[in-house]
Amino acid sequence: MLRIGLLASLVVFLAGIIAHLALHPGVGWSPTESNPSLAYLNPAGLVHGLATGATAAYLTLGILLLVATPLVRVFSGLYYFERHGESTIAAIALAVFLMLLFGLFVLGPWVR
Amino acid sequence: MELLLFVLLLALTGVGAGLVGSLTGLGGAVVVIPVLLIAFSTPFPEAAGTGLITVLATSATTGSAYLRDRITDLRIGMFLEIATVPGALLGATFTIFLTHANLDHALLIALGGVLIATIPGAYRRRRIDPSVPAAPDARSVRLGLNGSYVDESGRSIPYQAAQTTPALGVAFGAGLVSGMFGIGGGVFKVLSMEHYLRLPMKVATATSNFMIGVTGAAGAGVLLAAGYIDPLLAAPAALGTTAGAWIGSRVFPGLRNQTVRLLFLPVIGALAVEVILRGVGIS
Repeated sequence: MLRIGLLASLVVFLAGIIAHLALHPGVGWSPTESNPSLAYLNPAGLVHGLATGATAAYLTLGILLLVATPLVRVFSGLYYFERHGESTIAAIALAVFLMLLFGLFVLGPWVR
Repeated sequence: MELLLFVLLLALTGVGAGLVGSLTGLGGAVVVIPVLLIAFSTPFPEAAGTGLITVLATSATTGSAYLRDRITDLRIGMFLEIATVPGALLGATFTIFLTHANLDHALLIALGGVLIATIPGAYRRRRIDPSVPAAPDARSVRLGLNGSYVDESGRSIPYQAAQTTPALGVAFGAGLVSGMFGIGGGVFKVLSMEHYLRLPMKVATATSNFMIGVTGAAGAGVLLAAGYIDPLLAAPAALGTTAGAWIGSRVFPGLRNQTVRLLFLPVIGALAVEVILRGVGIS
């Protein structure tokens, strides 16, 4: 599961960066340029970006895959503890999972 | 600078970082972040965000081996995460606030200090004698924070977490450092698990690897949603660091010894000094 998440994101990264460079030949880079992923940090924007073949959208997807992998690990841990009747540790796992979601969907957008 | 050149240079930096990181056990972010800050003048939150992406990539690379060997203690790891995750969320938020307040130089100096602090941890290899049991505290008993693993000679070694309260305190600090600076902080986690929880080294290392991924995702989630993870930095850095770590583990498996650490740890020390100088206004 870990491997799949990592491999998927690395494949997307590699294909995405090659495509991006090919489609933007000779473009410059500076540390103060704006982040190209900003338009794709919401579900609607991301889906639209992927549908229109925006390379930055695919690269953002690669990042999401990488960030999602530990979330899946925590969720499967939660499921495992719940199934084995370890309710206290399951509650801890649930709290950890909810805090991760909080960071991604509430805290991050709030401090932008 | 041309984007193509930048991507190639960053990927190459990643390969070197992944290699040094895997040989020293400190991870690649401790090299990638200073290089981004100093050589590419990257704003601090973007550098930290990129660092966390490399942390996630490397943690996933090595993690599957630990899971297969069944030495990761998911229970203890998840228990400590109740402290590391809030630490990371707070750390990432703190870094963003400090950047908005134009206090990046303070972040640079603090990062240099943290990097220097991680170096002694990579040198020391505590040998916890598994035959001497440590007294578990009440929380450890109540939550069942125990387990066993099979050592090289085939013996099953039982263990029970000892002092959970200081371990939680250090875990929070490790999370804070990870979220603020974009590093994995595995050194602090392993030391805490060996010293306070009295876990065997292999279990501590494997469990730390699991935790690094979760803590990394906490900080990365905030920085990503706040718009501080640039995919044009994240992709080459992740690809390069993963390649470097893979080379380190496959091509140089026999090199993970004290002599190699002595060779490479000064590199991290030099980067730390450069970062501090940048923060103070010199260089």
